[in-house]
Amino acid sequence: MSVAFKSGIDDAVVEELRAIIGDDGRVLPNMSSRVNRTRVPAPFPVHRWGEYMPDVVILPRTAEEVSEVVGLANRLRIPVVPRAGGTGLSDGAVALRGGILVDVKLMNLIHEIDLVDRTVTVGPGINMLKLNEELKRHGVFYPDDPASYPCSLVGGRIGTGGWSLIGGRFGHTRENVVSLQVVLPTGEIVRIGEGGGRKLRKSSTGFNLKQLFTGHQGTLGICTEATLELAPRPEVEFAAFFAFEDYRTAWETTGDLTRSGLATLAGVVLFDEWKIAYLRRDDEAYIPQPASVKAVVAVAMYGTRAEVEPASKVVMKLGRGRGGRYLGDEISAGDWASRHDRYATPLHGRSKDGQAVMMSWHCEDAALNYSVLPQVREEWHAIVAGFREEYGIFDDWGMFAYTNGPYKPWGDYLVEIDVGIWEQRLNDENWDAWVRCKRDISLVTLKYGGSITACHGATREGDAELVPAEMGSSWEVVKRIKRALDPNNIMNPGKQSLDQAYEDGGVA
Amino acid sequence: MSVFRLGDQVPPDPKRITDAVVMRFDHVYEVDPALMELTGQQDVPAWDTKRIVDSRWDHLDWMHDHFADEVLLAGEGSETMPEEDAMPSEERSGVREGPSDPGMPGVEEPAVDRPDVRE
Amino acid sequence: MQDGDQKYGLDRGGGDGYDPNGDGELQRQFVEQWRTNAYGCFSSGHKFCREVCPVMQVTRNENHTPTAFHANIVAMEQGLVDVADVADDYVHCTQCGACELRCPNTLFTGDFYRHRTRTVDVVKAMRALMVDTGNEREGWKVWNERLAERHNEPVLGDVPVSQEHVADWADGLDIPIGGETILFVDCEAAFYRTSYTRAFAQLLQKAGVEFGLMREQWCCGGPAAEMGYVELARKHADHNVADWRAVGAKRIIAPDPHDYIAFTEDYPRYYGDDYEFEIVLGVELINDLVKQGRIRLTEPVERVVTYHDPCRLNKRKGVHAAPRELLRAVPGIEFKDVDHVTQWSYCSGGGGGLPVEKPEITEEISRRRVARAQQLEVDALISACPWSERPLSQAGASADEPLEVLDLFELVARAAGIEVGGHAQGPVQEARP
Repeated sequence: MSVAFKSGIDDAVVEELRAIIGDDGRVLPNMSSRVNRTRVPAPFPVHRWGEYMPDVVILPRTAEEVSEVVGLANRLRIPVVPRAGGTGLSDGAVALRGGILVDVKLMNLIHEIDLVDRTVTVGPGINMLKLNEELKRHGVFYPDDPASYPCSLVGGRIGTGGWSLIGGRFGHTRENVVSLQVVLPTGEIVRIGEGGGRKLRKSSTGFNLKQLFTGHQGTLGICTEATLELAPRPEVEFAAFFAFEDYRTAWETTGDLTRSGLATLAGVVLFDEWKIAYLRRDDEAYIPQPASVKAVVAVAMYGTRAEVEPASKVVMKLGRGRGGRYLGDEISAGDWASRHDRYATPLHGRSKDGQAVMMSWHCEDAALNYSVLPQVREEWHAIVAGFREEYGIFDDWGMFAYTNGPYKPWGDYLVEIDVGIWEQRLNDENWDAWVRCKRDISLVTLKYGGSITACHGATREGDAELVPAEMGSSWEVVKRIKRALDPNNIMNPGKQSLDQAYEDGGVA
Repeated sequence: MSVFRLGDQVPPDPKRITDAVVMRFDHVYEVDPALMELTGQQDVPAWDTKRIVDSRWDHLDWMHDHFADEVLLAGEGSETMPEEDAMPSEERSGVREGPSDPGMPGVEEPAVDRPDVRE
Repeated sequence: MQDGDQKYGLDRGGGDGYDPNGDGELQRQFVEQWRTNAYGCFSSGHKFCREVCPVMQVTRNENHTPTAFHANIVAMEQGLVDVADVADDYVHCTQCGACELRCPNTLFTGDFYRHRTRTVDVVKAMRALMVDTGNEREGWKVWNERLAERHNEPVLGDVPVSQEHVADWADGLDIPIGGETILFVDCEAAFYRTSYTRAFAQLLQKAGVEFGLMREQWCCGGPAAEMGYVELARKHADHNVADWRAVGAKRIIAPDPHDYIAFTEDYPRYYGDDYEFEIVLGVELINDLVKQGRIRLTEPVERVVTYHDPCRLNKRKGVHAAPRELLRAVPGIEFKDVDHVTQWSYCSGGGGGLPVEKPEITEEISRRRVARAQQLEVDALISACPWSERPLSQAGASADEPLEVLDLFELVARAAGIEVGGHAQGPVQEARP
């Protein structure tokens, strides 16, 4: 079986790639290699799978190999799609135009651990959980903690500019990358940092490029090595969950907690009524709860015992200050630990007549300010309800709001609505409906001064077309940078509306 | 010691908990089978249910250790419902020893790619 | 029932099911049978399985992920791949069960919905489809031809195994044939690592447990099933059950975890309600006998050791406490443990036919396992599965600083003052004490 190559790749190009890599086992144009590097966990039009396949997959081991492959692609105007874990939620690693998919999983070594200057240097293919297993015995950890902690890879976290559950205390991916080695779209290998040497944290020399290269969604280059922060391993974790009889009181309590000034506060999570109703479907912590439990606030703290223990008493007071009821030690410990695992189970889905059916999960990740959370919640739920009513294949899995600002729990919030989509029932009509639903949700975000994506990236239909609107006056600057670094539009082309940076609309 | 007998593997009959949830084994919730008509249920013998439930708690206990040496809790039970109904597996509460993996880098070859540790 | 739960392997008629018209009918049926399982994974795709998979840790090739194993079925339905395209990928699996346990569909909601991820079954079913459609692997083909001929697995390489010698390991132990309690002896244990079997049998004798051997000790059929040879597996199961019935057996003692799985999972699927045997897991039995004082451990063994959780005990069956309890009962032992959840991502690479087709991957998986043990500064790695002990022993011997690999029963027998006899690495090697 075969699906034809989409881009300018032919047998001659494959031979050139084999010559560069020198190992036929790492240059893969066969169907199963392409098929299995197409989708990511985001909802996917299964019936159009063939349209999103890369043409050939490369498994590099070194920056030099990546550099030569990208150089070749740039010369021949062949698209390149970088892929680390392929666990992103916004199609950033999905090939829209065929081309060469650069899969960095083999680059998963720990090159150096420096306990004096407090950095660890790794390849982009390493997973954070596996990294921390190694770091534990040195009393340090790399504090990047997304819901995908057991599965996502450092390279993808850097590409997406990931968000961490404990970012309110430790910062997110961007803050925890000290410097990185990048292969530019034109093939050069460069070091990007704050300035200075590999392990410098803050500088004002030249331009500060690190921000640009953490969160570009693979459109400005490929990370081939990263030097990361080593945070001291916390002595103690404290988590507490509080139940509320109405959303508003829970929301107000969230504000009390995030404005508390407690330095060890790592994250606060607000569960809305729809989320609690959804959790009652199959979560043992919520099934037996009385009907008066309508909304929940979860809090977590990390640090030394000397700091966390007294702070925990303040948290208990604040959590109860407006009538919140503590859900108990078991749920607080168990549910906090399950934050990485509860999301993805397809059987959370319910058809319109209540049957448990396998649904794919869409995770919205807008960034919004505190003041607008209640209103955005109402408007988003109304949108999803409308689409469910009309199309039947969508399901509202409720909303979370999480502390978003790095080191600033009082700042903004990552606001998530989870939408189940019955993938097996997808067809062109339903898919278009889904894209409209996605876009409507994003338009509400923009209306309330938010960002359409705190961390996943605006790399999919429904989001990508709104990037210029969100960027506003800075969109011109974005386009100039893209064109300057990627003159031939080969690096993850078609993402984030960046085709607009090119005179011919970016399509070769 | 557990002796495997096929007859012992059949789960007990369900009793109703809510309009969507039933219970066969103590403290283990299950979906009302009527809601699984479209998807279908599998044949899950009793030993497998036990394995999954035990593993879940073991895994949750283990997860904490990635982020801290010790879990501190308020030391209080549920304020929303009576303690014995609050969380199915009461005997699982509390801290346990974290994982003890000595850790190993993603080495490709023995010794050569060991990370340098500067201390 | 759904998902090929019953249908896998059961109702294939006498014919080998070969797809004579090449019209993909078998593939179509396969997809029909397994699509719900496939979508259970594909609709999620979050890949919590990937970092715990021992093969993935080595190859880092997405084609070898449990995710791909499920996605390929959906891809087949969409007409993007067929069996030939993906056959080699499905070789890359030890069927250790880490993925399907770690998957949130199992770990968080498998019990709630009575619907979990079943990667092991999916891989077995795909391998059976490979056999049925002319896509079988050369190494496995030869292996199973030899099994068909001799009724035991060709565990001695060029040296043929045979029924005449299947009970040679028991020389001098005076074990009767038949009875209510049968000791089932695995092929690896009967021919290759006889020290394991002799240790176990003598521990039972010391405790005064009455047991007998089978009249004809055939392979359990488990590995044939794992490699996709469905009829062959069933034939061996039928023979074994007939032999058990013929001697009035009520209870089967299975020391080897692979057999335990065959007898508690494969055989019930074959026979449904017509399966009356009690299956006793060897390590749990010995642990109980020690706790009851029927085996006294009087000889100190002054070693510093760590324990390897065999996949088919820990991940597949949730058995991890009894072996540790037993190990701790050995006087003089210093035990540096690695907890059983961390060990979800450990493996020897010995299962699922992997050593036959991809010995270099098995070797690397074992090398890494031994390296982890060495980081603990121990002088021995103790396992409780003879299939793991072969690649682990080879890795232990070829490490820069050699590490001894022992079986738990061998260790316990030593502590019970038993002179075990037999050999740990095939009959050509000198027997180890």
